Amino acid sequence: MENIAPISLSRHIALQRAMDVIANNVANSATNGFKRRSGMFNEHVAPRARADSLRPADRAISFVIDRGSTLDLSQGAADRTGNPLDVTIKGDAFFVVRTSSGERYTRNGALSLDARGELVTSDGHAVLAEQGPLAFTAADRDIAIAADGTVSTAQGVRGRLKLAAFTRPSVLENIGGNLFSAREAPRPASAEIRLESGVLEKSNVSPVVEISRMIEVSRAYTSLAQSMQRGDDLRRSAITKLAEAA
Amino acid sequence: MRALQTAATGMMAQELNVEVISNNVANMRTTGFKRMRVQFQDLLYETHKRAGSPSSDQGTSVPAGIYVGSGVKSVSTPRIMGQGNLSPTEKSYDLAIRGEGYFRVQLPDGRTGYTRDGSFELDADGRMVTAEGYLLDPAITVPNTAKGISINAQGVVSASLPGQVQPQQLGQIQLARFVNKTGLESIGDNLFVETQGSGTAITGNPNADGFGTLQQGYLEESNVNAVTEISALIAAQRAYELNAKVVQAADQMLSATSQAFRG
Repeated sequence: MENIAPISLSRHIALQRAMDVIANNVANSATNGFKRRSGMFNEHVAPRARADSLRPADRAISFVIDRGSTLDLSQGAADRTGNPLDVTIKGDAFFVVRTSSGERYTRNGALSLDARGELVTSDGHAVLAEQGPLAFTAADRDIAIAADGTVSTAQGVRGRLKLAAFTRPSVLENIGGNLFSAREAPRPASAEIRLESGVLEKSNVSPVVEISRMIEVSRAYTSLAQSMQRGDDLRRSAITKLAEAA
Repeated sequence: MRALQTAATGMMAQELNVEVISNNVANMRTTGFKRMRVQFQDLLYETHKRAGSPSSDQGTSVPAGIYVGSGVKSVSTPRIMGQGNLSPTEKSYDLAIRGEGYFRVQLPDGRTGYTRDGSFELDADGRMVTAEGYLLDPAITVPNTAKGISINAQGVVSASLPGQVQPQQLGQIQLARFVNKTGLESIGDNLFVETQGSGTAITGNPNADGFGTLQQGYLEESNVNAVTEISALIAAQRAYELNAKVVQAADQMLSATSQAFRG
């Protein structure tokens, strides 16, 4: 019985964290190229005490442990914007972005040009083509991005956008700003991956899923608080009753 | 509990989204207006457990870490500089640009403004001015005896003067363009000014070197599309509600905690 509080506490902490993950998903439901995360919990069996002489013997108790939050890389909804510098990746790949701390990866295809004519993300990080950053001059007109990533203007082909793919999504780490860093070097994306310009990939957060998860978490939390309250009552009445008996 | 703050960032972001959409809708009939949109990014993540950290002394490692994000931020409100529809006005000083370019306007403070709004008029001295009375740059002066003003696609302004058979050339309208036109700063009155982000203006004549052509007697409507804006508004409103629900749920959880320990 003395285990009620610590076990409930482990579940409380896990549920709070689950709620934080859901809140982040919902807050980013309008973030282009955002990929949702979902919590993953396990049971953690505490080592059994060796008190065999007692009857009944100790039973195994299990705590809740937060194993990780997995990244859901499924495709987000497509939003047709008609802007030629809005690009969606159809398939499992990322744009490669150059930041001051090295190459980073993003699915946010809302690209633009900076003052020097370089193709950049909305944060101003250069988006890399296979030969490095892409720069346009004032004479370049009608920038178009083809399905295979070829970037061309009325003056000719300027390069091909570099796409990176990863064997497992778990090597990716969110660093904010719609960017991911990777623990492993990426491999080149497969040739079947298509780009579509004039379309933006929205976030892949589904409101129904998040809200139902949220209700579930919130209810579990409330009922857990109630069971803690009962455990507390139980202990209190035991103390009073035993004190009377003594 | 972080969920409260996270949901609050979501609500603030959607509030900005609604503000931008309502400005687009309000300017639906503004000549030369270019619609805006908000771009969002996720905020920093807190790493509770790093993926790939060892989970035993047998060389196994954790496949997925614990990353908890802290919400969303608005990063920019770029304008979508697409062409608006041209609508006929039958006024000889109304000009629309088909394609790239901005009219240059001399602002009273000495700066140069750029605009797609081509509803020009003449001032008391016969100079072409915008609706606010700012001078077109380079200035074009129309003599008060001139009749039949014509402005061709290349920007050449000519008029017939009394006693002359050939139309008299009065001036050349020039356009400006930018490497990064989304970097222009709006200063109201349909005017933009150059910034560090836009790059310096490149000036030239219409219908040459990638500049658009002029169309006399037409005005460029705004490029706001009612259907797109309304669906964006609905989406923003619902996203706001969802975030409010998260606040509510987080509040319930907190109150469950505080009530469990009444003692």
